Amino acid sequence: MLEIKNLHVKLADEDREILKGLSLTVPKGEVHAIMGPNGSGKSTLAYVLAGRDGYEVTDGDILWNGESIIDMEPDERAAKGVFLAFQYPMEIPGVAGLTFLRTALNAVRKKRGEAELTTPAFLKLVKEKGQKLNIDVDMLKRPVNVGFSGGEKKRSEILQMALLEPTLCVLDETDSGLDIDALRVVSEGVNALRDKERAFVVITHYQRLLNYIVPDKVHVLADGRIQKTGGKELALELEKSGYAEYTHKAA
Amino acid sequence: MNVAVMKTKAEQAISESFEAAAEKLPGTDVVRERRAQAIGAFSSLGLPHRRIEEWKYTDLRANVKEIFPAALDDAMPLTIAELIVALGPLAHVDAHRIVFVNGHHRAGLGDFADAAGFEVAALGELLATATEDVSADLVSTPEGGDAVETLNTAFVTDGAVVRVTEGASASKPLLIVFVRTGGSASSVAVRNFVTVEDGASATVIEAHVVLPGAAQDAQLNALTEVTVGNNAALHHAKVAVDEGKALHLTSCDVTLSADATYRNFQFSAGLGLARNGLNVIFEGEGGKIDLSGGYLARRAEHIDTTLVVDHAVPRCESRELFKGVLEDHGRGVFQGKIIVRPDAQKTDGKQMSQALMLSEDAEFDSKPELEIYADDVVCGHGTTVAELDPDLLFYCRSRGIPEKEARALMIESFIGEAIEKVENEQLRGALASYATQWLGRSSGR
Ligand SMILES: Nc1ncnc2c1ncn2[C@@H]1O[C@H](COP(=O)(O)OP(=O)(O)O)[C@@H](O)[C@H]1O
Ligand SMILES: [Mg+2]
Repeated sequence: MLEIKNLHVKLADEDREILKGLSLTVPKGEVHAIMGPNGSGKSTLAYVLAGRDGYEVTDGDILWNGESIIDMEPDERAAKGVFLAFQYPMEIPGVAGLTFLRTALNAVRKKRGEAELTTPAFLKLVKEKGQKLNIDVDMLKRPVNVGFSGGEKKRSEILQMALLEPTLCVLDETDSGLDIDALRVVSEGVNALRDKERAFVVITHYQRLLNYIVPDKVHVLADGRIQKTGGKELALELEKSGYAEYTHKAA
Repeated sequence: MNVAVMKTKAEQAISESFEAAAEKLPGTDVVRERRAQAIGAFSSLGLPHRRIEEWKYTDLRANVKEIFPAALDDAMPLTIAELIVALGPLAHVDAHRIVFVNGHHRAGLGDFADAAGFEVAALGELLATATEDVSADLVSTPEGGDAVETLNTAFVTDGAVVRVTEGASASKPLLIVFVRTGGSASSVAVRNFVTVEDGASATVIEAHVVLPGAAQDAQLNALTEVTVGNNAALHHAKVAVDEGKALHLTSCDVTLSADATYRNFQFSAGLGLARNGLNVIFEGEGGKIDLSGGYLARRAEHIDTTLVVDHAVPRCESRELFKGVLEDHGRGVFQGKIIVRPDAQKTDGKQMSQALMLSEDAEFDSKPELEIYADDVVCGHGTTVAELDPDLLFYCRSRGIPEKEARALMIESFIGEAIEKVENEQLRGALASYATQWLGRSSGR
């Protein structure tokens, strides 16, 4: 279970508070959507969950399976099952996708006390996952994300997620920049990973994604706090009325 | 005005060292004469210093404080097993070998007698028997040679004399190995000749390696003269890996005939103070060169790459890509001159030099120089200096890769883009392993 308690976050080198007492609970097996206007702090929340530098938690806590993660390094969190699918996945010239993933997977396996995978075993696993998700794994022979289209980048994120088998999956605007076909592949990928041991935090600006990934709960994030929580119908409401009501409240 | 320049201690020591060694250096009278002339010439030149434009960033007069005795012992023991240890990852490159131990040919360690396409001999042995004319050719300072090349003439003991015969295509590379061993400080001068005759092709790898435990006080002066004939091709690499202290001065002079292809890759790691000089001249139309390299410097190591590419004739193409990783107080120097003579129309020259700075104390000096006297040419150069991208590091770490490994992955990818230039797959693998070792990771990935 993910428990975010009264989380206050400011920028490390600026006196600006972005998250102002955010509280949120996501039980295992559930998918929670976080929706909110641009600039409301959605990506900040995602980054703080993954442990990026540049943010400072000034108050509150984040517990994953009962353990506080806010003082952990990003790679420790990954070993504990945290995974962030980036809004803007990074390009790594000169590092083949397969090398990158094998390094990541073996690092995570090592920390989880599992044996490292041999090259053939790894390649077999990659192929299996690719087939299951309907993603062509040939793209992993190229340097990570270099020259990929927006859709390919997001697919590559989902494939990485499937391989690393995280238990807390945070998806930051995975739908942005995707056409309908890519959106379907990505959503099916996410749905294939849904199970009772996994929690999902799906961040999006538009309701569209939630037609494909149907959430258990929808939260509205505005002005650094959860302003409202509801069922999936809340997303439809937001689609009609927009975020004006919440940004107003914030101002 | 004639001002007597004060000689430095090192310059004086060089003359004294020559006095002590002269009798024991190989060669007939004509060679002796050449050597004596060379040391005389050096006497007036002195060590290169910062007021000489080509040595502006690599001041030998200021940095070379002492001179180690010339390595004259031609019987330093080295077993095959030790050779393999010294070669490290290079031992996996399937190649014929000619091996030199502390600057002296060691027949028992090589296997070049039946190297298809190659004719290989050791310079020291040639000098003992060669005619006056041949000797004079072998021990002369290249035209326009500088003080370092002049010193090579004075002190050279041995080296590989390689010919790839007309039309031959040598399938297996030739590995010229220079190993340092033994516990005493020493100074070594070697010289190689690589001649690729018309229509022939070959791969030649020059390796400068150290047996672990060997004295770190070491000075090397290596000169390689290359000629590539009409329609011939040479893939050439120089690999120098040391333990952080050695002085490593190398020059490579290349002459290309029409439609010749020449590729050179220079890999340097752990060199205390290094100068990698490379001069290429196109003498026939349609020549193509690709000069590239990767270097790794930490602590106070200093690696200088100085290139002069002379497009003397039309329709030739040159490509240059050099990448350096600089940590601690590591310093990289890149000087790249491209000359396009008035006749050299349709010249296509591109140069790129990149440094990755891993510390605030690292230093990189880049001096590209285009001297273009023709009008119908395409020439360009670029320099980039970058640090590790914190966003990329975070991306790697968010996938579970620990910081040290993530940094290593980034650095490997940077240097890997240079190593990609090496066409021999086994050599590429060996260089990648060196880079990995340098980064302190296990190479068994
Ligand atoms: N690293 C950062 N540096 C400066 N400003 C930032 C940084 N991260 C977030 N912000 C600011 O914090 C606010 C929230 O941004 P973000 O979390 O990206 O919102 P959202 O993802 O909801 O659009 C914005 O005003 C943004 O400019
Ligand atoms: Mg965002």
